[in-house]
Parts: sequence; C-alpha cells; structure tokens
Amino acid sequence: MKSEPINRTSMWKFKLSAATMTLIPAAVGINYVAKALAEGLKLPVWLGSLGTFLASMLAGPVAGAVSGFINNVIYGLTLSPISTVYAITSIGIGIAVGILHAKGWFSSIRKVFISAIIIAIVSAVISTPLNVIFWGGQTGIAWGDSLFALMVANHAPVWLASFTDEFVLDILDKVCVAYLAFFIYRQLPQRMVRFFRDDK
Amino acid sequence: MTDQNMLTGETVGKSKWYNAIDPVTKLLFILDMALLSFASTNLVIEGGLIAMALVLLLFSKVSSTTFKALGFSLFLIFTMLVIQGLFYSQNQTVLFSIIGIHFYKEGLLYATILGSRVLVIILASGFFMVTTTISENAKYLEQSGLSYKTVYVLMSVCYILPEIMANMRKIQQAQRVRGTNPQKTFIQKLRSVLPVLIPLVIKTLDQSMTRSISLQLRGFDNPKRKALKGNNHYRLASVGHYGLTIIAVILIGWKLWTKINGLF
Repeated sequence: MKSEPINRTSMWKFKLSAATMTLIPAAVGINYVAKALAEGLKLPVWLGSLGTFLASMLAGPVAGAVSGFINNVIYGLTLSPISTVYAITSIGIGIAVGILHAKGWFSSIRKVFISAIIIAIVSAVISTPLNVIFWGGQTGIAWGDSLFALMVANHAPVWLASFTDEFVLDILDKVCVAYLAFFIYRQLPQRMVRFFRDDK
Repeated sequence: MTDQNMLTGETVGKSKWYNAIDPVTKLLFILDMALLSFASTNLVIEGGLIAMALVLLLFSKVSSTTFKALGFSLFLIFTMLVIQGLFYSQNQTVLFSIIGIHFYKEGLLYATILGSRVLVIILASGFFMVTTTISENAKYLEQSGLSYKTVYVLMSVCYILPEIMANMRKIQQAQRVRGTNPQKTFIQKLRSVLPVLIPLVIKTLDQSMTRSISLQLRGFDNPKRKALKGNNHYRLASVGHYGLTIIAVILIGWKLWTKINGLF
C-alpha cells in the first residue's frame, strides 16, 4: 500500500493565496468535527489535529502550522481559554507533519507509524513545559494523570513524569490521527490534491 | 450569548457599558491579568484577581460557555490538589489526614496557586468571550491594520463550522440508514469513524475549492482593495492600549529581573 510523496519545489514556500485561505478554515473545521466525533463515540483519543495533519499534507508545513495556530486561538477565544497557549504545540505538529510528508514519510503504512511516533514526541516535548507551568505537570486525562501520580510518588522528576503522562496520551492519539489522515489523503481526488499543492 | 452566535458573530446589544471597550483592550486586559497572576505567589493577591475578574464577568454577562470552561478546569484543579497535596517533591508539613492518608501543606499551597492562575485566566477570558463576537474582533483588527486575508481566514471559520456540522449530521444519518453503527471495541469504533470522516473531509475540501475559485473570480486578491471603514463606538481605545501595554512590559521586566537576581 503506497502513495506518491509530494514533489514540491520548496516545502517552505508559503503564500496566503485564495486556496490556502479557504483550506485553513476547512482544516480548523475538520479538527473541530473530528474532536466532536471522538467525544461522541467516547474514544480515548482526541483526534483534534486531523485537519492540521491534512492541511500540512496538502499545502505544506507552514499552512499546517497556521491551521493549527488558528484552530487553538479560535477554540481558546470561544470555548476553552487555556487552549490558546497550546497553539504552540499545534504549530509544532503542523511543521512536523509537513516535513515528514514532504520527505515521503507518509507513503506507506510502516512509515506512517514511525512518523506518528516522531510527531507524538514533538507534541509531548512542546506540551510538557506548558503542562508544568499551568497544571503542575498533569494533562487532565485520568489514566495519564494516574501514571503521573505514580511516578511522582516514586520520586521521579516532575518533568519526566509530565513528559511520560503527555507522551502516552499523544502516542495513541497521533498514531490514530496519522493513519486516519493517511487513509483519507489516499481517498482524495487528484485534482483536489493538485489544487491545494500547486496554488503557491 | 450562546456558543453559536459567538461563532457566527451576531451583534450584541450596543447599549451596554462593555460594548464601549474595544476588543484589543479586552485582550490586553487578559494578558495583564495573566501576567499579574504569574508574577505573584501570594494567595491574597490571587484571590483579589479572581474576585476582580469574577465581578467584571458578573457585571457583564453570565454564559454557559464560561461555566463549561470552568467545569473542566475545576475538576483538573481538584485532581491537582490531590496529587500535589500527596506527592509534591517539597512536601514536609502534614496539614490534615483523611483515613490515614496525609495531605501536605506545601503541595496544597502550590496546587492552589496554580489553580488560582488558571481561574484568573478563564474568568478574565470569560469577560472577553461573552462580550465580544469573533466578527466584531476581526472587523476591529482589520480597521487596526491586520491584513484582510488574515481577517477573512478568522471570520470564515465562524461561518464554515456550522456548515461542516450540518454536513456531518447528514452523513451520519445516511450511514446509520445504511447500517453503519458505532461498534464496541476501540478499533471497531475507530473504523466506524472512517465512513463519516472520509465523505465529510472530501465534501469540506470540495467546498473550500469552490469558495477559493469564487474568491479569485471576485478579485479578492486585488492589491488595490481597501479595508472597510466602520464607525467605531469605542471609548479611550488608545489610552487603554498604551496603558495596558506599559503594565504588561513592566510586569514581564519585573518577573525577568527577579528571576535573574535569583540566579546570583
């Protein structure tokens, strides 16, 4: 099961063209509904970065990063204020996905798994300081926080306990989102892929 | 104000006192409140900031959105109190015991300060959330010099979201009729997401393409395009901006100074 990696002149090339301007809000919307679907089905994952993944795969790392950033800003200004600070994590995810996709790391099932691990590490590394500053290291998810409490009780450093708490949650979420994005991207019509890829 | 009209940007009553405050002043106010809260480790000051934000919120509007944000955070603050009260690395003094489990003063104090900071941010942001629509914010930012393209991106999210939600409901209904139901195991549940997500994503991106072509045809990229000039009803906007920015700079400088002094 293979798909062609994107051959782009420069993955960093970014222009706020009409196509990108309409792709970013769509990505934010996809993030929102994917999260709502996961909550509705009571899945133990968020899926709230699916749109960011797709935007990065379609239009490159900068478009993905902008989508992630705007997603958290809008979410923070309308529903959950603390989400705004996690915009930095979303930027990191968008850039990581964009680079990995451009380098062909979303071309096979095996590579997608490795990409998901890398993205989970990026996400956990950026989120850990924010978790420590705002929540004393916790994430707010019961089983991750149980692990955090267990590690802290055994005198593990807070930073390590917090990173582990975040990483165990991120790894499951990012593996699911990466495979969803991979399967969805393969289903997209080529004219659509070319439309967003070439409009720079 | 409901979640829906906050997103779509229906106008709020213009006669209220908070409508005279511009969105940037409100955002700077959140920043200053957060900085003040982070600069302090005194519970009395934290309590004062919470009271101030709460009073401001009560005198403006009480919304279910703020309660939702508070609900999740209060649960997290409670778990933080338990975990830090039991296991915080600097715990020394037992404050109380429940069925033989000791809760320590240092951990509880640390968790209370962290929790207070979160409450200050949520309540101060709550004031912005209930008194400003995204469209009002975006229009003001465009008038203040933000690129119209960025404003379009921010604004269109508000209009696209209800459209995507409606599409999702239609697709879910169609899949249910075809017999695609949520399953029991995690993998089955995840697989059941695909028949909804794939058509939804394709439809959303297809609508984006159509929107993009319409924008190009209407000359949205025209370099001669000018920002809409609206009548501002805001009072003392520049005084608010300068005053709150100076306070923010002083607070950041003071915090950095105390950190540097602490190193030597």
